[in-house]
Amino acid sequence: MAEPVISIASLSRRFGEKIALNSVDLSMPRGAVYGLVGANGAGKTTLIKHILGLLQAESGSVRIFGLDPVAEPVAVLSRIGYLSEENDLPGWMRVDELIRYSRAFYKNWDDAYAEELRQSFALDPSAKVKDLSKGQRSRVGLLVALAYRPELLVLDEPSSGLDPIVRRDILGAVIRTIADEGRTVLFSSHLLDEVEQVADHVTMIRQGTIVMSAPLAEIKRSHSGQSLDEIFVSLVGSQT
Amino acid sequence: MQSPAAAFAWEFGWPRRWIPVALGVYLVAHGLLKPLLLGSGATLDLGDGYIAFALVPFSFTFMYFIAVFSFGLNGDLAARQSIYPARLFTLPVSSAALARWPMVYGLVAMSMLWVIARTAAWWPLGLNLPIVWPGVMMAVVLAWTQVFMWMPYGFRGVRVALAVTVLIALDTLVILAINYKVSEAALVAFLAPQLPVAYLCACLVVARARRGVVPDWAVFSRTAADETARSLSPFRSTAAAQLWFEWRRNGKSLPVMVALVLPFELSLPFITGYGSKTFIFELLLFILLTPIVMAGFAGATVSKANPFGREVYGLTPFTATRPLTSAQLIAAKLKMAILSTLAAWVVVLVAVPLGFAWSGADAVLIEWARWGTDTLGAARAIVLALLVLGGSIVTTWMMLVQGLYLGLTGREWIVKTSGFVGLVIVMAIGPTFEWISDNADVQAWLWDNWRIFPAILVVLKMTAAIAIARRLSRSGLISDRVLVVGAAGWAAMVFVLYGVFVWWADTPMLPRYLFLLIAILAVPLARISAATLALAWNRHR
Repeated sequence: MAEPVISIASLSRRFGEKIALNSVDLSMPRGAVYGLVGANGAGKTTLIKHILGLLQAESGSVRIFGLDPVAEPVAVLSRIGYLSEENDLPGWMRVDELIRYSRAFYKNWDDAYAEELRQSFALDPSAKVKDLSKGQRSRVGLLVALAYRPELLVLDEPSSGLDPIVRRDILGAVIRTIADEGRTVLFSSHLLDEVEQVADHVTMIRQGTIVMSAPLAEIKRSHSGQSLDEIFVSLVGSQT
Repeated sequence: MQSPAAAFAWEFGWPRRWIPVALGVYLVAHGLLKPLLLGSGATLDLGDGYIAFALVPFSFTFMYFIAVFSFGLNGDLAARQSIYPARLFTLPVSSAALARWPMVYGLVAMSMLWVIARTAAWWPLGLNLPIVWPGVMMAVVLAWTQVFMWMPYGFRGVRVALAVTVLIALDTLVILAINYKVSEAALVAFLAPQLPVAYLCACLVVARARRGVVPDWAVFSRTAADETARSLSPFRSTAAAQLWFEWRRNGKSLPVMVALVLPFELSLPFITGYGSKTFIFELLLFILLTPIVMAGFAGATVSKANPFGREVYGLTPFTATRPLTSAQLIAAKLKMAILSTLAAWVVVLVAVPLGFAWSGADAVLIEWARWGTDTLGAARAIVLALLVLGGSIVTTWMMLVQGLYLGLTGREWIVKTSGFVGLVIVMAIGPTFEWISDNADVQAWLWDNWRIFPAILVVLKMTAAIAIARRLSRSGLISDRVLVVGAAGWAAMVFVLYGVFVWWADTPMLPRYLFLLIAILAVPLARISAATLALAWNRHR
């Protein structure tokens, strides 16, 4: 059996008194699209930060491609595409400068694909990032996260800045394309219809604890006829 | 909260309520210590060092008020957009009210600060300072700073250039007025009318910013910019890309600041008319210190983990997820600091000969050069000049990067504690020198034992360096091979410097080990090495 892309075992994390993650176990095989769902403050971003090596495991272990992301940041981060919820791209850069800067870090950067994405996202190369709308900034972030065809794409609340058409036509299509190419996607969201649309596997997290993690088809089969929204409410006890 | 005035008062007052309390406690403690330590009838020794000690808290508070009431802590000072917080534009009040309340509360705060400072000068120091004009001057400086901060500009960086130019011009006029013994009434008559003018300007600029007006003065260069956009060539390496990133973010500040200040310094011989050799020497000293002092200001931004979020200490995810090691990220910062330092010194080395030649002061420099070569010999004189220049350049670079090991930790308590400790040290320097100069026994002891101080500093430096190297090795942040090569390079630089010192000043009056201690202290090591640990601690929390 192939090594999982993400392998997390007994991961716990506290911020003061608050338990952000409580003995989380997660294993993601290659080529899957994982939807990570949970209410605000449930621990989605904390889990993603551990995957990126931005947080050190207090207890338990995190392995990405079999590597520790804290000890080997270059080997891990050069294979991950990441779109931050905070959308913190440097505002002083022009779009073309951001593309030029980003391409320096990735051996697999595909200029033709980057240009194709830029045109389909209708991004002006001479526009400053800070002058772009929130949606356009998300598209630029998505462009630089995708253009080197990363083995693992991590999207933290990617829909927060995108309008419904972009969500459906661009984000959905992009995620499916990546999965069809055998690469892996992990995206967090509180929009359950969106998760239902693109995810193969759903992980639900509540107050730092994973309450369910299973293939979407299996979840639907075991909760006969219920929508993901209804299942989430019954498990987590509140709306996202 | 019943009114916008009360809401603004709460916004400015509540988070900063400890400042007047702290100043009051300082004042009372200062006043009580005097009779306690010296006796009730004694007079304080008001040397320069003591007055500097007494002034530091007030100078710090003045700068802090400028930053707070102009909203200067809120954003990117170099940006074209207004710094005025956009969240306040949606309040149901007029633009005039948006300008008025920060200006009114700023005026009140500055007035209170002056009243407290003047009281502190009178009791316990016994100094009689002017009654009104310095307070008005403080309010005027704040009012114009508010206008410049809130104004939108057509080019990036114009805000800083305009604010520095106008405020320095204002300061220069007032210093000249004091020099020519202009009366207090005349100074107030010059300064006070500027307050309503600044208020009217502030109303206009806030109204423009509220409407989203951001002038674009780059329309004429748009074609050239588009051309640039099409012709960007790829970076040769990841290191080159990160160096470009750091240079664009922080590198230009220092040379620009030096280029703004130098014309004022070089114009002093024309304004003051002083032509003495002492004046030329002091001027040259100030000019040599300018890049070093400016680097202190620029270094505050370089060492911030997140320069565009003034209250945020952690790294942004964008920077933290670059596929680079923490050592590579630090290396880019250090290289950027080298380029920035060299650019600043190129400005100095080009401007000073031109300025001195224009004012005629170059004759004095040539005379000194002749005296130096006649007295020391050509080789020693050249080496001395190179040592002074090289030492100044290295010090400038150190000022840019010496705070990295603190700022990059991303821990608010470390940054604030180090700032407080630095302030206490600055406050202690003046009284310490006063105490030494007043105490013959202390001077005698220091004369006999001063060599112990560089020795203690060397022990501290080397102990810290060894601990940092062990930590770097154990954490794997820097490979052992790189650590060994770095240590060998550092040792080689120390021995070269030691050799130069011994050759230049070989005398039985000074033992040779002293030159070695000075060389060890002069070549940077511990704080620079600790920057990688600090960044890694911040990046992988």
